[in-house]
Amino acid sequence: MAKVKVEARGIELSYGSTRVLRDITLTVEPGEFFALLGPSGSGKSTLLRLIAGFAQHQAGQLLIGGNDVTGIAPWKRNVGMVFQNYALWPHMTVARNVAFGLEERKLPRDVVRQRTDAALELVGLTGYESRRPNQLSGGQQQRVALARTLAIEPQLLLLDEPLSNLDAKLRVQMRQELLRLHRRLSITTIFVTHDQEEAMTICDRIAVMDQGVIQQIGTPIELFDHPVNRFVAQFVGSLNLFEGNLTAGRFASPTLGECELPPSVERAARSDVHLAFRPHVVRLNEIPDSDGLRLEGQIAGSEFMGEFVRYEIRVHQAIVIADQSHARGADRIADGTPVRLSVPAGELRVMEA
Amino acid sequence: MKAYRQVVVLAAAVFAGAALADTITVVTSFPKELTSAYKAAYEKKYPNDKLEILNKGTSSGIAFVREQPAGARAEVFWASAPDAFEVLAAGNLLEKVDIPSSGIPDKIGSYPINDPEGYYRGQALAGYGLMWNTRYLQAHKLPPPKEWADLTKPVYFGHVATSAPSRSGTTQLTYETILQGEGWDAGWTQILQIGGNSAAVTERSFGVPDGVQNGQFGIGLVVDFFGLAAMASGFPVEFVYPSVTAIVPANIGAIAGSKNPEGAKRFIAFTLSEEGQQLLLSPKISRLPVLPAAYAKAPAGYPNPFDGTIKAKVNFDSALSESHYYVVSSLFDQIITFRLKELQAATKAIQDADKRLGGRQSKELDEAKRLAWTAPVSAAQSKDKELLATFKSKKGDDATIRRRTQIEEEWSSKAKANYARAVELANAVK
Amino acid sequence: MIVAVALAIGAFLVVFLVVPIASVVYTAFTSGDGGFTLSHVVTFFQISLMRESFWNSLYVAGMSVLIASAIAVPLAYFTVRYRFRGALLVQTLGVLPLIMPPFVGAVAMQLLFGRSGSVNLLLNDAFGFSIPFMAGLNGVIFVESLHYFPFILLNLAVSLRNIDGAMEESAQNLGTSGFRLFRRIVFPLALPGYVAGASLVFVKVFDDLGTPLVLGVSNMLAPQAFLRITSVGLEDPIGYVISVLMIVFSVAALGLAARILKGRDYATLQRGGTSLQKRSLSPMQTVAAYAWIGLVLLLVLSPHIGILLISFTKVWSYSVLPEGITLAHYATVFEQSSHMITNTLLYCGLAALFNVILGTAIAYIILRTKLPGRQMLDWTASAALAVPGVVLGIGYLRTFRGLELPFTDTALTASWIALVLAYTVRRLPYALRSCMAALQQMHVSLEEAAENLGAAKLRTIRRIVVPLMAGGILAGFVTSFITAAVELSATIMLSASASQAPMSYGIYLYLQSIAGRGPGAALGVIAVVIVGLGTYASHRLLQAQSTAGEQRLVNT
Repeated sequence: MAKVKVEARGIELSYGSTRVLRDITLTVEPGEFFALLGPSGSGKSTLLRLIAGFAQHQAGQLLIGGNDVTGIAPWKRNVGMVFQNYALWPHMTVARNVAFGLEERKLPRDVVRQRTDAALELVGLTGYESRRPNQLSGGQQQRVALARTLAIEPQLLLLDEPLSNLDAKLRVQMRQELLRLHRRLSITTIFVTHDQEEAMTICDRIAVMDQGVIQQIGTPIELFDHPVNRFVAQFVGSLNLFEGNLTAGRFASPTLGECELPPSVERAARSDVHLAFRPHVVRLNEIPDSDGLRLEGQIAGSEFMGEFVRYEIRVHQAIVIADQSHARGADRIADGTPVRLSVPAGELRVMEA
Repeated sequence: MKAYRQVVVLAAAVFAGAALADTITVVTSFPKELTSAYKAAYEKKYPNDKLEILNKGTSSGIAFVREQPAGARAEVFWASAPDAFEVLAAGNLLEKVDIPSSGIPDKIGSYPINDPEGYYRGQALAGYGLMWNTRYLQAHKLPPPKEWADLTKPVYFGHVATSAPSRSGTTQLTYETILQGEGWDAGWTQILQIGGNSAAVTERSFGVPDGVQNGQFGIGLVVDFFGLAAMASGFPVEFVYPSVTAIVPANIGAIAGSKNPEGAKRFIAFTLSEEGQQLLLSPKISRLPVLPAAYAKAPAGYPNPFDGTIKAKVNFDSALSESHYYVVSSLFDQIITFRLKELQAATKAIQDADKRLGGRQSKELDEAKRLAWTAPVSAAQSKDKELLATFKSKKGDDATIRRRTQIEEEWSSKAKANYARAVELANAVK
Repeated sequence: MIVAVALAIGAFLVVFLVVPIASVVYTAFTSGDGGFTLSHVVTFFQISLMRESFWNSLYVAGMSVLIASAIAVPLAYFTVRYRFRGALLVQTLGVLPLIMPPFVGAVAMQLLFGRSGSVNLLLNDAFGFSIPFMAGLNGVIFVESLHYFPFILLNLAVSLRNIDGAMEESAQNLGTSGFRLFRRIVFPLALPGYVAGASLVFVKVFDDLGTPLVLGVSNMLAPQAFLRITSVGLEDPIGYVISVLMIVFSVAALGLAARILKGRDYATLQRGGTSLQKRSLSPMQTVAAYAWIGLVLLLVLSPHIGILLISFTKVWSYSVLPEGITLAHYATVFEQSSHMITNTLLYCGLAALFNVILGTAIAYIILRTKLPGRQMLDWTASAALAVPGVVLGIGYLRTFRGLELPFTDTALTASWIALVLAYTVRRLPYALRSCMAALQQMHVSLEEAAENLGAAKLRTIRRIVVPLMAGGILAGFVTSFITAAVELSATIMLSASASQAPMSYGIYLYLQSIAGRGPGAALGVIAVVIVGLGTYASHRLLQAQSTAGEQRLVNT
C-alpha cells in the first residue's frame, strides 16, 4: 500500500465562539503509527474527523500525501476510518458490510469478492461472512470494522478510540493485533486515544493534546523522560508534583515544607515553580546517594499492585507517592511507620508553573 | 381493575336515573332543524316528557328498529318514504295508533295521506323537483331546467347529480314517480339518460342538495324541502316542481313493542295538531303541512298542494312502488350507481355522435342508444313474481341469496358490456 | 393477584372484542339453517362489483401509502437532517391532521378542491382547465393521504433520530454520498419506523368509512359493507363476508409489517453517541425549504381553514371564498349541542382512562411477569387495530342484542356505555404501545432496587413503575383520547340518541342538512380546538416530564 505523509499547518477550528483546535501543526511520517493522546474535550477526535473530512477548519492547511485536502468531501478522500462504536450497519451481513466500500468504488464483482475475503482473512474472520453484526462479539465487531476499512486499501488509516468498547483483556490482545497488522501493511495510521498506556505501547510517536492545543510531540520515551510541561508530565505516567519557591538551593513549599536540592539540579532563585519526580524513582530507607533529594515522612497508606506496592507517604503537609517493586515473600510496611525517602538527582525536575 | 368496575357500575346507575324520565325515542331521517324545532316545542308543551331524537338514514333506521328486541324498542318512526313504513308494517314493527285526524283530508290527489290500514300517518307532504345553483348555471351558460326530461338533454352532461334509490327513500320515490309517470321501459330510458348526464350518484340523498348548494353540481333531483330550505337560507339556488311529480306524504308511526306507547301516541298527536303542523312552515324547515288550515299562516308564495299551486299529474300507486322496491333499487345500483363511469362514457359518445350527425339518422347510433339506455329488465319481467320474491325475501337462506347475487351479477355485467359496445358503435359513427 | 388481573383483562377482551368479532365471522360462514358454509364467500367473489370494490380498496390504500410517503419521507428526513427552525412547524404538521375526523375534512376539501372548489374556479379563470382532485378514488386517496401521512412522518422521524451518526459517516468514509447514501444506509436503517407508519396508514385507509361516504365513492369495501348491512339489513351475509375480508387484510398488512420488522430493531444510537449530523442550509435552500413546508402545511391545513371559513360565514357556493360573516352558527351549536361537547369529553376521557389502566397492566404483565399465555393479551389487544369500526359496531349490535344494563331497563347497545366500550377496545392498541415503550425503556433494576429496600410488588408498581412510566402513559392517554374523539365509523353504528351522542356524531348530523353545514363546521372547529388544546397541554406536560414517550405518540 502507498505510504503517505500527513501534514497539518496552523489549523484553527471553532464552533461558534468555542475554539476547538488552535494552531495545530504536526507531521505524520509515511508509514508511521501515530497517536493523538489527550483527555476528553482535548480536540483529538475533532482533529481526526477533520482529517477524515467530517469537520472543516477555518484557517491553516491540511495536506495528505502532499495534496491540500481542504474542501474535499469525505467520500473522495480515500482515508479509512474505524469508528469508536464500529458503526457496523445492522441491516447488512458481515460480508456486505466489508464489500460496501468496494461496491461504492464500482469495482468488478469478482474483485469485490476477492478483496472482501482477503480483508476478512486478514482479521481472522473467514467463515463469518453471512453473520449479522448483532450476532458478533465486541471483538469480532471490531475486526469487521477494521476489515471494512482496510478492504478499500486506504492511503491513511484513522482509528477513533478503537479499543475503548472492549474489556481489559481483549483490549491488550487487540492492541497487539493492531500493531501486528500495522507492521504487515505499514500503512500510515493515526490513532486517537485517551489511554496513555495504549498510546505508549504501540505508537511510534505521540502528540499530546489539551484544550485544542498540541502540548508536545515525541516518541513515548521522549514524552516520559522529557515532558515539556506539567500537563504532559502528569498525563504521561504518574507524577509527584509540588508547588513552591526556589531560594538559594532550597525549595520551599507550603505543602512539602523546606528541603535542600542537590547541586546538580538547576537551582537559580525563582518563585512559583514545581518540583517533580516519578513515583517509581523514590527509594525508601536506603542509604541515599550523596547527590539526591532527601525527605522524611510516615507511611499513610499502601496499595498492593502485584508487581509493586504503591505507598502514600505523608511528608509535612504533602502526600508523596512511592512505588516499590515487590519481591516474593516481602511484607508491606505498616501504616504509621516513619520512613526516609530519597530521590536521585537525575530524576528530579524543576518546572515552571 | 376494581376501580374500573366501580366506574362502570356507577355509570350504569347514573344512566339508570336519567332513563327513568318519561322518554320518547324518535327514530328519524329528518334533519336537525326540523327535529330540534319539534323537540323544543313538544317538551315545552309536555314538560314531563323527554324527547330523544335518533337520527338515522331511513334504511339504517329500519335495520336499527329491527335489531332491537320487543319491549326495548324506540317509540316513534318518522321518515319520508312510505315504503319504509310498508317494510316496517310487513315486519310487524308498527302499532296501529288511534288519533282523530281532525281537518286532515284523506287524500292528496289520488294518494291517500294516511295508511289505509292505519299503521302510520301522513305528517307532512313532499313533492319532488329540480334544484339548481344559479351561479353554476350562469357560469356554464346553462338554461334552467323545467321537467325531468330536460335533464336528458346533452347540454346538461356532467352537470346533474342524483342519489340512488337504495340509499334514499326520497330518491326512490322520485324515480318511482318517473317510472309510474312514463311507464317502466320509457321510464328507465329516461332514468338512464339522466344517469348518463350525472356527474355523480351521491351516497346520501342529502349529497345532492348539498352539492348543488355549494356549487359542486349544477342541477339536482331533490325533495322540495331541501330546495326551499336552501333558498330560505340565502344560498344562490332555485327550485321548481316539474309537471310530472308526485306529492306524497312523509309519515310518522308508532313502533310496536316500544317501552312507552302512550308517549308515542302523545307525540304523534302533537305533530298532527295545528300547532305541530305550523312548525313546518319555518323557513329552515320549509315543508308542506298535511293540515290545510295550517297554510293560513304561511308566508306569501308558499306552495300549497291543496289550492292547486302544485299539480301532481301522476297518480302514485304505492302498492306497485312497494312491490318492486328492491328490484328498482338494486337494478339502479347495478346499472347506474356502480357503472356510472361506463354509462357516462357511453352517453358522452352518443351525444358526440349525435352532434357529428347533425340530425341525420344512423342505425348504428340508434343501436348504441338502445344498448346504453335500455334496462336489462323489461316491463313484463318486472312483474315476474319469482323475481320480485327473490329480491323481497329477507331470509338469509343460501339459495335465495345466491340467486339474487347471480341476477345482480347478470345485470351488472350486461350493463358493462352494453355500455362498452355503445361507445364503440357511437364512436364509429362518422 | 396478577393472575386475577390478567384474567380480568382477558375476560374483558374476550367479551368486548373477540365475541363480537366472532359473531360477525360466524355469520359470514353460516348458512340459513345454521350450518357451516363457504357459499357466501364464493358468492362474494362471483359478484364483479365486490371484486372491483376489493381491488379499489387495495388500490386506494396502496396509493394513499405512496402519496403519504411522498409527503412524509422528505419531510421527516429534512427535519432530522438539517438545522433550521421549521421543527415546530413540522411537529404541528404531525398532529394537526389527526385531530379532525377525515370526513369533516372531506367536506371542506370539496369546497376548496372539488369540481367547483376555490382552486378549480381559480384555475379555470386563469388557465381554462380544472383538475379533478376530488373525483372518485382520487378524491379518497387525496383526502386520506393528507389525513394519515403524519403516521409515517412521526414514526420515520423517530427512527431517523435514533440512527447513530457514525453509521452515516462510516459510509461516507468508504466513499458514498448523496442519494446513494440515503438509499443504501440511511433509509434501510430507518425502515422499521417507515414500515410501522406505512402499515398503519394502509390499515387505516383500508378501514376508513367516513371519507368514501362523504365523497360519494361506494365501490370500495368499507362503504359496501356499511351499505349492504344497513340497507339490505343485518341478515345479508355478504356484508359480513366483506367485514371478514377487511379484518383478514388488516391483519395481513400488520402481520407482514411485523415480519419485516422482526429482528430489525435498529436503534443504533448508543449511549453517548451522536445522532445524524445536522447540516446547515444555504439561504437559497432555506427559502426553498420553507416554501415547500409552507405548501405542505397549507395543504394539510386546508380542511381546517375550510371549516373555519364555513363556520363563520353564511353562504359558500360556487365562489372562491365564502360570503357574509356571522357568528350565528356558533350560537346555534351552543344552544343545541353543548351537551355533545361534554359527552365527547366524558366518553373519550373514560375510554382513554380505561385504556391507560389496561395498557399499563398488560405492559407490566407482558414485560415483567412470566405468566403463561401472557403474549395472548398483547396479540388480542393489538388485534383491535385490525378491526374496522364498522365491523366492531355490527358485532356489538349482534352480540349484545337484548342485553340490558344491570338495574335499568335500557339495552347496552342503546346506551352510551357501548360507545365507551367500543372506543376503549378500538384505541387500546395505541395506549398499549405507549405503555409498553415506556416500560421497555425502564431498566428492571429500578424496580429491584425498590423491592430490595422493602417495597412489595404492588407498592413498587405504584411508587416506582407508574411514576416512571408517566410520560408514556400520558402519551397513551392523549393518543387514545384524540383518536376516539374523531372516531366516526363505530360511532355511527352505536349512537343510540342525539342527547347521548358525542361531537363527531353531532358534526355528522349537522352536515346532513341544508342549514346545518355552518353549525356542523362550527362544532368541528370547537372539536379541533378542544382536542388541539388537549394535545398541546399534554405536549407541554410531556416536555416537562420526560421526552421518552412523546415521540412515540403514534408509534405502534
